[in-house]
Amino acid sequence: MSTAATPTLSDASAADSTRGRGGGRRKSKSAPTGIIDRQRRKLLIPLVGPAFIFYTVLFIIPSIWAIWISLHDWAGLGPMKFVGLRNYTLIAQDPLFQQSFLNTLKLLFIVGVVIFVVAFALSLVLRDMWGKSAVRSIIFFPHLVNALVYGALAGFIFNPNGLVNKILLVFGVEAPPLWLKSDNIFPIIMATLVLTMTGYYTTILMAGVDRIPPSLFEDCALAGANAWQRLRYVILPLTWDIFGTCAVLWTITSVKIFEVVWLFGGGAAGGAPPLETWTVAVFTYVTAFGGKTIPAYGQATAAAIISLLLVLVLVVLLRRLMRREALEF
Amino acid sequence: MSNVARKLVPTLLAGAMLTLAACSSGGGSTDPAEPGSTPDKPESITYWSMWKEGEPQQVVLANAVKSWEEETGIDVDVQWQGRAVNQKLTPALNTNKVPDIVDGAYNALAPILATTGQAASMQGAYDTEVDGKKVSELIPEKYLTEDSKLNLEDGSPWLMPYSISSEAIWFNAAEHPEWASAPPQTWDDFMKVLDEVKAGGEEAPIALDGDIGGYNASWFGSQIIGEGGPGSMEELITSEDGAAWDAPEVMEIAKRLETLAKGGYFIDGYNASKFPAQQQAWASNKAAFLFNGSWIPAETGTYVADGFEFGSFPLPTNTEEQYARAEFTGYIVPVKSKNQEWAMNFAASVLSKANQDAWGTEAKQIPVRQDAETSPELDSVIENLKNADGVYPALDGTFFPGYTEKVLFPNVTDLILGKISAEEFVAKMKQANIDYWKTQ
Repeated sequence: MSTAATPTLSDASAADSTRGRGGGRRKSKSAPTGIIDRQRRKLLIPLVGPAFIFYTVLFIIPSIWAIWISLHDWAGLGPMKFVGLRNYTLIAQDPLFQQSFLNTLKLLFIVGVVIFVVAFALSLVLRDMWGKSAVRSIIFFPHLVNALVYGALAGFIFNPNGLVNKILLVFGVEAPPLWLKSDNIFPIIMATLVLTMTGYYTTILMAGVDRIPPSLFEDCALAGANAWQRLRYVILPLTWDIFGTCAVLWTITSVKIFEVVWLFGGGAAGGAPPLETWTVAVFTYVTAFGGKTIPAYGQATAAAIISLLLVLVLVVLLRRLMRREALEF
Repeated sequence: MSNVARKLVPTLLAGAMLTLAACSSGGGSTDPAEPGSTPDKPESITYWSMWKEGEPQQVVLANAVKSWEEETGIDVDVQWQGRAVNQKLTPALNTNKVPDIVDGAYNALAPILATTGQAASMQGAYDTEVDGKKVSELIPEKYLTEDSKLNLEDGSPWLMPYSISSEAIWFNAAEHPEWASAPPQTWDDFMKVLDEVKAGGEEAPIALDGDIGGYNASWFGSQIIGEGGPGSMEELITSEDGAAWDAPEVMEIAKRLETLAKGGYFIDGYNASKFPAQQQAWASNKAAFLFNGSWIPAETGTYVADGFEFGSFPLPTNTEEQYARAEFTGYIVPVKSKNQEWAMNFAASVLSKANQDAWGTEAKQIPVRQDAETSPELDSVIENLKNADGVYPALDGTFFPGYTEKVLFPNVTDLILGKISAEEFVAKMKQANIDYWKTQ
């Protein structure tokens, strides 16, 4: 069920954000009149209807079904036993779930802050550097590579006789760190995420930065503004709405992070990664599809619903926090 | 609500309800399968297999399928699903469009079928005659005891095995013929051999891919069962007050593992590598022993060092009795299958001598039939299974939700990677057992 529930995270929050935007638009418009508006209203159902039905069948109903499952003890097959909110209280008290939740928050906040700091720093440099389009492609490239590749390569790169240690040996390091020790895997995963996601967000931010009229930067140059001042007084205010969208996107993405963790720490022989690296998504997966024990779909969906709620709350908070008057330029 | 919304919402909701109704009428109709009432020959049966196209196991089974098709005139619609078959089985069994027969490993099928009542009794297959004998007579009796956990509540079996996986301590018999001719018999003997290897300094005593929880847990579980007999691991796992973990035998085995971990018996870097790095190191003679499954010759055959010869002996224990791990791969027939009888007839046909010979020699697996021909690499494992006083599935075939992945594997892994001591391990497992059973 987690696979059915997880995609709904983005969609639910996307729905939330559309609602917000739609609301704004409605207010700004006067009541629709005239023949065109009437025609438009007639077309609404045939045009929106099919999409709405697909959306309902593929996302809303599975989400409601997931909530229903989360109130039961169920092995995926056979009888379902109603247990009320017990699955929620059980996982809330489960130290492993708490730790997985904390890891998810670490990815969200620590990795998120690093990504955006680096992305903004790059946006300062990339605007007018030589060979900027080549550099942008290079930065974006890691995002194109499937996480599977990083997972598979982790062994080659970080095994005791892997690439990193062989290079270190050339420099005389004979006792390199145990890279893939269970305590070290999570920091490596965080670094990998920074590597793969920074280019993606830099690209989106740069699209906003490129829109800023060059005259403003010329003004900055004339006024003798330094890089930080350029960022603070020009780039940030004029890309604020884009940054807000990126922050929402990252929130949604980070809560669902699964495959990188799975592939770095486990996966090869079908085993789960070390507990130290689990995120809520990994917890959900192992609980439902661990494969070694009877599946506990109730607890798995409860965990998925909790992460859905986390995303909803954070997205609403973020949007409130980031709300500014859009600047016209 | 605006006019538009007032019109739109009920229409769309009605549409959604209709779709839902359509879905549920498909899934909710009564079960059409009535075993025994439809002996008519179907045109075809559907078979989902855990093997992938091109694997030697698949080639052997594809031949078995072909000869059964010729014999019965029924088409077998085979889907070579690969190991993901288990993940596809659960959603499929929630519908009425189910495969007629599925094969898979016991420890993959049992968690989803053991408690859910979706597996039909395979008694029909066991009663079918193959090569003039009933299938139940072809499968050695010791595999069919309660310890093997093959029975449904009514006592009839839910799985018909055609293959066995076991485990052994593997080594290169070309380099060390002495271990092939006189393998260590007790744990103490084994430690002496390990000390000799360690003192020799040429190779590490033991290779272990420490990132695989199952491998780590076997070092513990197979010693517990090896010394206490089948059921002793289950006793520990089901100890609700954790008291069973206080037994001195548990501490002794935990101490043995602590010694291995802290005494430098495992290959360097085993605690910070990714499978199959250490298995590969063993295959290139960087470590003497590898404790792993009977699939090792097939799995490492392509990359072992030149002149490598697979030798093995059972995990030594300090007891007289010898118990062997035996996990089956076999057939199940879903309760909802409309062609149960023919599906079981097919399952039985896979146990013909010709098919089992091919399974042993071409697929290089251990056939269930003891009279089948086998591959020489597996001789010692098969000998051990033949001589064993009893057999057991790994961890006694226990599948309590989440216990293996969240309780047992992580703690055994910490012990075997040297992160905790034997005392800490026992204390943690005891407490974890108490906590676990409180929530069940």
